[in-house]
Amino acid sequence: MNEDAYPGMVGPADGHRRLRLAGRAALWVGLVFLVLLPLLPSVTNATLFTLTLMLTSVGVAVNWNLTGGFTGYVDFGHAVWFGLGAYTTAILMSLQTNGLHIGWPPFPAIGLGALVAGLLAAAIGRVTMRLKGPYFSIAMLGTFVAMREIVRVSSITGGGVGLTLPPYLNRPLFYYIQLALVVALVTFTWWLRRTRFGAGLAAIREDEIGAEMRGIDTTHFKVSVFSFAGFSTGLFGGLWAFQNTFVDPDIAFVEVRTIDAVMSTMLGGLGTVAGPVVGAVVLYWLREVLWANLLDYHLLSQGALLIVIVLFIPRGLVGLVDRRGTSVTALWERWLGRGAKPAEQKDKP
Amino acid sequence: MTALLEARGVVKRFGGLTAVDQVDISVGKGEMVGLIGPNGSGKTTLFDCLSRVSSIDEGSISFNGVDITGRRPHQVARLGMARTFQLIRVYRDLTVSENMELSIQWGRLRPSQLFARTDPGTRRKVDSLLEFLLLSRLRHERAGALSGGQRRLLEIGMALMSEPRLVLLDEATSGVNPTLVADIADRLREVNRNQGVAFLLVEHNVQFVADLCERVVVLNQGAKLAEGTPRQIMNNPAVIEAYFGAEGEVEK
Repeated sequence: MNEDAYPGMVGPADGHRRLRLAGRAALWVGLVFLVLLPLLPSVTNATLFTLTLMLTSVGVAVNWNLTGGFTGYVDFGHAVWFGLGAYTTAILMSLQTNGLHIGWPPFPAIGLGALVAGLLAAAIGRVTMRLKGPYFSIAMLGTFVAMREIVRVSSITGGGVGLTLPPYLNRPLFYYIQLALVVALVTFTWWLRRTRFGAGLAAIREDEIGAEMRGIDTTHFKVSVFSFAGFSTGLFGGLWAFQNTFVDPDIAFVEVRTIDAVMSTMLGGLGTVAGPVVGAVVLYWLREVLWANLLDYHLLSQGALLIVIVLFIPRGLVGLVDRRGTSVTALWERWLGRGAKPAEQKDKP
Repeated sequence: MTALLEARGVVKRFGGLTAVDQVDISVGKGEMVGLIGPNGSGKTTLFDCLSRVSSIDEGSISFNGVDITGRRPHQVARLGMARTFQLIRVYRDLTVSENMELSIQWGRLRPSQLFARTDPGTRRKVDSLLEFLLLSRLRHERAGALSGGQRRLLEIGMALMSEPRLVLLDEATSGVNPTLVADIADRLREVNRNQGVAFLLVEHNVQFVADLCERVVVLNQGAKLAEGTPRQIMNNPAVIEAYFGAEGEVEK
């Protein structure tokens, strides 16, 4: 909160500072908890697998937010990079000749899978990101569907049957790798948003022609961030394939993965750093609860949730505590009678 | 005077409509030129062509000795051309300061600066320009919350942030109260005099153009109708007819 802008609003500024401190404390406590979690005797491999899948959802949502939230390009085919990463990893790890297994070790395979996804994102993004608004979204959806069909009919991908990977089931290791990746990714997006490059992405989101006219090479900015998002989602795809030990077109290229990323980001807060993290975690556990208690209605409930988000909290859960939005702290302070109204602008020329 | 911007035989068509028809226009270094014409005469379309927001169908455009006919807008901006828009283009969800910080000369940034935060030098420049434009106390306001006049000033400030050689101003006084119009004129004159920045102004406010510009170009139905000093233009019968009809008169 900037006191210069609202010199009279002392209460909410204090409240906001307290809230930020509380948020930081919760972040560190949460991180320590997540690091220590596998050491607890009651935590089983199944729990770790569930948490790893949740972290995958977080990672994909954070990547989607880089193009959808930071840059304003709503990508309806983002899961294509996940599928490409997963399939490249699977192909490399399951290579055989004359019945002899000559597959790559997992981590080089996952790395190359991410690279393939990133390079294809750069090539495809260069074309599709010339389109604006719904045209871009539909072009990406088309890319996703086309890629899934190519995978379904190719022999190298195992066609519709899919591929089986050599099993390597070390749930705590997968969990820690995924956790480290998510922490690194969120830290990266936090840093990126504070750089001039991040500000340039915000300019593109706000007004692309204006940004271009003010000297920002919008194509370079957009394609760079899109390629990075593709690379990073490909990385999560490769890790997922390795853990799942099996891929086929219908589980590697699944639309719901994109829809989840969109819903998570909107629920948490579009274009914010914390939004997709908060949204993906809430959505993941909400779905688990709905699945367990309202099996027949869980999809209906999810649809209703999306409508509620758009109608009532368009800036997401994070937006509720944002300094520019309807601040929870401000409402709290007002309820306590401590907040003052913003001072009027006196110097409009 | 050396030409900073030189456009020759510019043609822009939209289907069967020729919006800009064989227009020649030039702006010298440090010159202030007005571009006037009735509604629909092609002024903004010509601006879009000059700033490369729109492609052209025929002709050539050079800026500061470089042929910019096939260049993209950001490349032209990096050569030192800035512009404002008829429908104000500020980043509405960002603050006034953030808007200004985003209007730096991007071409001069090294990769390490691209991935760094805004430096104190840029902040000082933002502060000084905002003070110059009487927007200092609004620097933390969201641009979308400003009045129309304030947003016009902000857009001018954003254009000046990149230290341009030429600014294309598209209806800078539209929807602005008369006091602020006088302020804008003073600021533009000062920037022109002290920094040698050239201006090409599209205006409906003929008096504003006459006060500021040494030379005025008149467009009508996409073609150049006249060019001369403000006095010559205001006494030109063809211009009077285009603006007011055959029987019209201009108050001298």
